[in-house]
Amino acid sequence: MIVLAMAIFPLIYSLSISFMHYRLIPPMPPRFNGLDNYAKILGQARFWSVIYTTSVIVIFSVFLQYVIGFAVATALNAKIRGSSVFRVLLLMPMLIAPVAVALIARMILNPVIGPLDQFLTMFGFPDLPFLSNKNWAMGSLIAVEVWQWTPFVILLMLAGLQTLPRDVYEAATLENASKWRQFWDITFPMLLPISVAIIFIRIIESFKIMDTVFVMTGGGPGIATETLTLFAYQEGFKKFNLGYTSALSFLFLIFIIVIGVIFLAIVKPYVEKRS
Amino acid sequence: MKIGRSFATLGLFFWAFITLFPLYWVVVTAFKAPPAVNGGPTYLPWIDFDPTLQAWRDIASGLRGNFVGTVTHSTLIGVTASVLATAFGSMAAYALVRFPFRVKLGSGLIFFAIAMGGYLVLLNYGGLSRSNSMLIAFSAALVVAVLVNRMHLPGPIMGNEDIVFWFVSQRMFPPVVVAFALFLMYSELGKSGLTMIDTFWGMTLVYVAFSLPIVVWLMRDFFAALPIEVEEAALVENVPSWRIFVDIVLPMSTPGLAATFMITLAFVWNEFLFALFLTNSKWQTLPILVAGQNSQRGDEWWAVSAAVMFAIVPMIVMAAILGRLMRSGLMLGAIK
Repeated sequence: MIVLAMAIFPLIYSLSISFMHYRLIPPMPPRFNGLDNYAKILGQARFWSVIYTTSVIVIFSVFLQYVIGFAVATALNAKIRGSSVFRVLLLMPMLIAPVAVALIARMILNPVIGPLDQFLTMFGFPDLPFLSNKNWAMGSLIAVEVWQWTPFVILLMLAGLQTLPRDVYEAATLENASKWRQFWDITFPMLLPISVAIIFIRIIESFKIMDTVFVMTGGGPGIATETLTLFAYQEGFKKFNLGYTSALSFLFLIFIIVIGVIFLAIVKPYVEKRS
Repeated sequence: MKIGRSFATLGLFFWAFITLFPLYWVVVTAFKAPPAVNGGPTYLPWIDFDPTLQAWRDIASGLRGNFVGTVTHSTLIGVTASVLATAFGSMAAYALVRFPFRVKLGSGLIFFAIAMGGYLVLLNYGGLSRSNSMLIAFSAALVVAVLVNRMHLPGPIMGNEDIVFWFVSQRMFPPVVVAFALFLMYSELGKSGLTMIDTFWGMTLVYVAFSLPIVVWLMRDFFAALPIEVEEAALVENVPSWRIFVDIVLPMSTPGLAATFMITLAFVWNEFLFALFLTNSKWQTLPILVAGQNSQRGDEWWAVSAAVMFAIVPMIVMAAILGRLMRSGLMLGAIK
């Protein structure tokens, strides 16, 4: 019950605050102001830029995670020698604190001491602005997200691959279907439901991204890489604008639900067609 | 066939390199002396540079912040929260697997209306403090909702599947929604004498609440996969259901419990947002300290690497153990 209270009360509390004008600094008595907070946020260019940034990161990183994850899982499933060792090694990034991953990334991407810069200089691309240019910074964040969360996709896709029945493939091999055809006509459709579930989880989780951005770019340069959670943190803990922040986090919640529903609606006909 | 396999192996090695190189880099950097770091990238110990323990001495001497204390905090909070979450979560999961529940949607709505409305009314017109009005509204809502649930209500009835879905959907909430409200609630509680911010129980409670959905989700599948015959036999002999749970079900699902415990522990160990909002110095956890390394004394990457290793080594050990469990086919049930 305590646990239930812990989960529900904050919601009720912040929902009620989100309709109020409430600041800690300067301290003012809370005042009911209806939907003002929501209207203010929706009219703000920064809010939309944050939504855009977060969506770009999510879309690209989840797509890459899925493609690479599926490929690696398929390779691991092909009974390669030492695949059990690979399995443990490839799992690791997922379990490392995002904060630590972000720090490692900063080291690697560092223009003076980082190995990546030296490597690219050999190919004639010296001093790429990994974290100081808007587009490069976004790219770096996406790369880090992919690095950290592809193992999650590998783990689940591998489990999915292992549940596939052997006899279907044997039949396909007898009929001289190429590996490539087998993949598209058997493996992919059969794994569609679990793929949808994995992508769904990753989308939801990725929208919450904060620690990586916080450490790697701090939202910079400017606010070019600021994500939703980071924006809410800035508003709440730097400006102590409580009503506004609560309204913001509820808009965030609504946004995620909308995205989730849209995704499921798009995907549903494909999954059902198969079964 | 042959070509395909070697191609796959090549791809695997490539991805493994991408995965492992950053980790190797941290380990190597943690043993470099400052000049070896700042003079540009160096790769191999004893060839490129001479390994030193400089960074580790810095950390041991407390120059980089209170590491000993923070690691202890993280461990204490992590282990306690994971034990509690696994215990409560598996009870809930077992109940959801074996006993049918019927919650009427109407009573759920009534619960929410009374909790929210009662809180606002008591706060604004009843002249009570925030924490008191919350407590009263919540208990009133709970009692009324349970009573109402027995009556006939219009509207759909929710079964176990819906309850599980509701549980899991909590994972969808952006934690910042809750983290911020929790910070406000905790500071209210602080005013009425119960300090929660920056305390052991404050943090542990939050983490238990937030690990529960995962635990329920994972454990439900483990329990559902257990053969029901044993339990039925015990039921026939009139063994009370809590005895069945403790003496029969739990021992049978030990691997599942272990895996769930470790996943929860990893989640708590790495958690950043709640710790950022709810701690400041006394019960700071490791991710916050590590994140702070960056700005505290400038970019001393050798020391940062050593700090990062503190955060990741326990998790890598766990990855090895989890990999073992995974190979035994144990994780399969959990993801279906």
